[in-house]
Amino acid sequence: MSVLKRPHSVLPGFGLALGYTLLYLTLIVLIPLSAAFIKTFSLTWESFWHTVTAPRVLASLRLSFGASLLAAAINAVFGLIVAWVLVRYRFPGRRLVDAVVDLPFALPTAVAGIALSAIYATSGWLGGPLESLGIKVAYTPLGVLMALIFVGLPFIVRTIQPVLEDMEHEFEEAARSLGATSWQVFSRVIFPTVLPALLTGFTLAFARGLGEYGSVIFIAGNMPMVSEITPLIIVTKLEQFDYAGATAVAVVMLLGSFALLFAVNALQWWMRHRRGEERS
Amino acid sequence: MSIQVSNVSKHFGPFAAVDKVSLEVGSGELVALLGPSGSGKTTLLRMIAGLELPDSGTIVLSGEDVAGRSVQQRAVGFVFQHYALFRHMTLFENVAFGLRVRRRELRPSDADIRSRVMRLLEMVQLDRLAGRYPHQLSGGQRQRVALARALAIEPKVLLLDEPFGALDARVRKELRRWLRRLHDEIHLTSVFVTHDQEEALEVADRIAVFNKGRIEQVGAPDEVYDHPATAFVHQFLGHTNRFQGVVSRGVANISGTHVDAHEHADVAHAPAVVYVRPHDLDIVAEASNASFAATLNHTVKLGPVVRLELTRRDGGEPVEVELPRPKFAQLDLVPGGLVHLKPRRARVFIDERNSTGPARGTIDDREVPRVTPAPAPHPDAQPVVPARAA
Repeated sequence: MSVLKRPHSVLPGFGLALGYTLLYLTLIVLIPLSAAFIKTFSLTWESFWHTVTAPRVLASLRLSFGASLLAAAINAVFGLIVAWVLVRYRFPGRRLVDAVVDLPFALPTAVAGIALSAIYATSGWLGGPLESLGIKVAYTPLGVLMALIFVGLPFIVRTIQPVLEDMEHEFEEAARSLGATSWQVFSRVIFPTVLPALLTGFTLAFARGLGEYGSVIFIAGNMPMVSEITPLIIVTKLEQFDYAGATAVAVVMLLGSFALLFAVNALQWWMRHRRGEERS
Repeated sequence: MSIQVSNVSKHFGPFAAVDKVSLEVGSGELVALLGPSGSGKTTLLRMIAGLELPDSGTIVLSGEDVAGRSVQQRAVGFVFQHYALFRHMTLFENVAFGLRVRRRELRPSDADIRSRVMRLLEMVQLDRLAGRYPHQLSGGQRQRVALARALAIEPKVLLLDEPFGALDARVRKELRRWLRRLHDEIHLTSVFVTHDQEEALEVADRIAVFNKGRIEQVGAPDEVYDHPATAFVHQFLGHTNRFQGVVSRGVANISGTHVDAHEHADVAHAPAVVYVRPHDLDIVAEASNASFAATLNHTVKLGPVVRLELTRRDGGEPVEVELPRPKFAQLDLVPGGLVHLKPRRARVFIDERNSTGPARGTIDDREVPRVTPAPAPHPDAQPVVPARAA
């Protein structure tokens, strides 16, 4: 018999459900990931270190992590504005704009990549004028950033939207009646309320950006040391039948993103804990 | 600090939420805006606060027209029905909010803020919970915090929008007594909105009764309860029975039953509505032309009083009677039995519009079409003899 003490639940079959959850996670997530680790262990420590500290790999890690973080941060700001406009204003075509936000979700990433590079290439609609201003987007880290902003936007908008919709006008009115200016209403009342959702959206957009491949490789140009992202390095190594080297880079990436996601989760937990909400 | 509202109107599309309303609130007064939902009382309150702009008319706060002043500049304390406490702040920070957002030169020092906030929290008896967050409090406690927060900015007037609406009956009662005591201590000019007539009668110095965007009557609680100016006020304040009849030279005739209506002595003949409160109906032993017959359907014992639900024998309309429990025990009534009911006191209104809602204090805002023509006047209408003990 079960020795686990647990609160009575309205849904029966706790044991079955938990067992199923663990099995599912194991099959879908843990086994494939552990395969990457196991393959990596076929390397000696020296060759592992040599592989992951190769200048080209380090440059790609810097680009991947840097561009993903920056793209998520930029999306956090502008996604918040987009969500705000969609929730608070009624204008013709609002539903259409709302649907457009989801396009980066729905579009095959390769299609997005080709479209982006067509527009930002020197001969493209935006690429040409920008080039004459001295800004080169395609085949540079800036291009990588653009692609990652593109794919990350819906994550921010879709996580903030429900929170903004739930937020009553009364909070703003209360703040204004107490003498707060519009900026104070935003910075002291609205922003702290959406911050947890914003962090979640940021995390999702960051994670998506880190793993993004299809939409980036076309616009990035993939020049070693300049605009080559880590997923591409992994694919390149695979194509050269360097499976162990590929998994070694993958493991580093995995650990790095796990550490960052864990940090964000810890931050969220801390914020909730500070408000004493974990008991409710 | 006084409030003068003159001729204020507000439309939402074609709907006149507030229609040329004028109201004066004297310094230190506690006034209730009472009315059914959608009658414009909340809209008026929000216009006084500056959360809503009137289409026309003027609002004067302590001698100054506030037309061009934003909410921030009006220095009004506003309390919301659902508290609107900032969830991410402790009680202390909630109350301190209005002081912290002030411009630097007007902002009190941190020590000053601390002592003022703690004093306010003491006043609402929540000083020991200063570090808690709103979701850790009960509804009544939250509303007290909201009140302390509104008072922190030292407002000239305090406006409360259905302040007890979201609370359960017991807490609501407690809190409104507490609010009355608080008002007696600090004498801040206050206006509160409610749809609960009991609350208005108990707490307010004066009551303004709203209906369809207009004020029907303003007066002290006793005055509006005992001398309602209109049919609407009568039926909105407390339970009541409604009868259709005709009034003719000071006597109202409800299909044969005569009721005194001396205030309409100069009316020759007009359709009328007669209102009788359930506790103003006596059960008498013998039929007369001042009584009518009814069948007892059902009795409900409500603490010290017993409510009888009856049906009129001639018209079939439901009638409610309330009796003290000992009296009910003496009468020895059985369901299905015949009783004679005699109105001890009635309010008779000339039925000009036929637009008032159904009887028994229920609220119905629909426009009711003109009802059936009133029955023919009684040929020998006579003043009613005062009720004798049965």
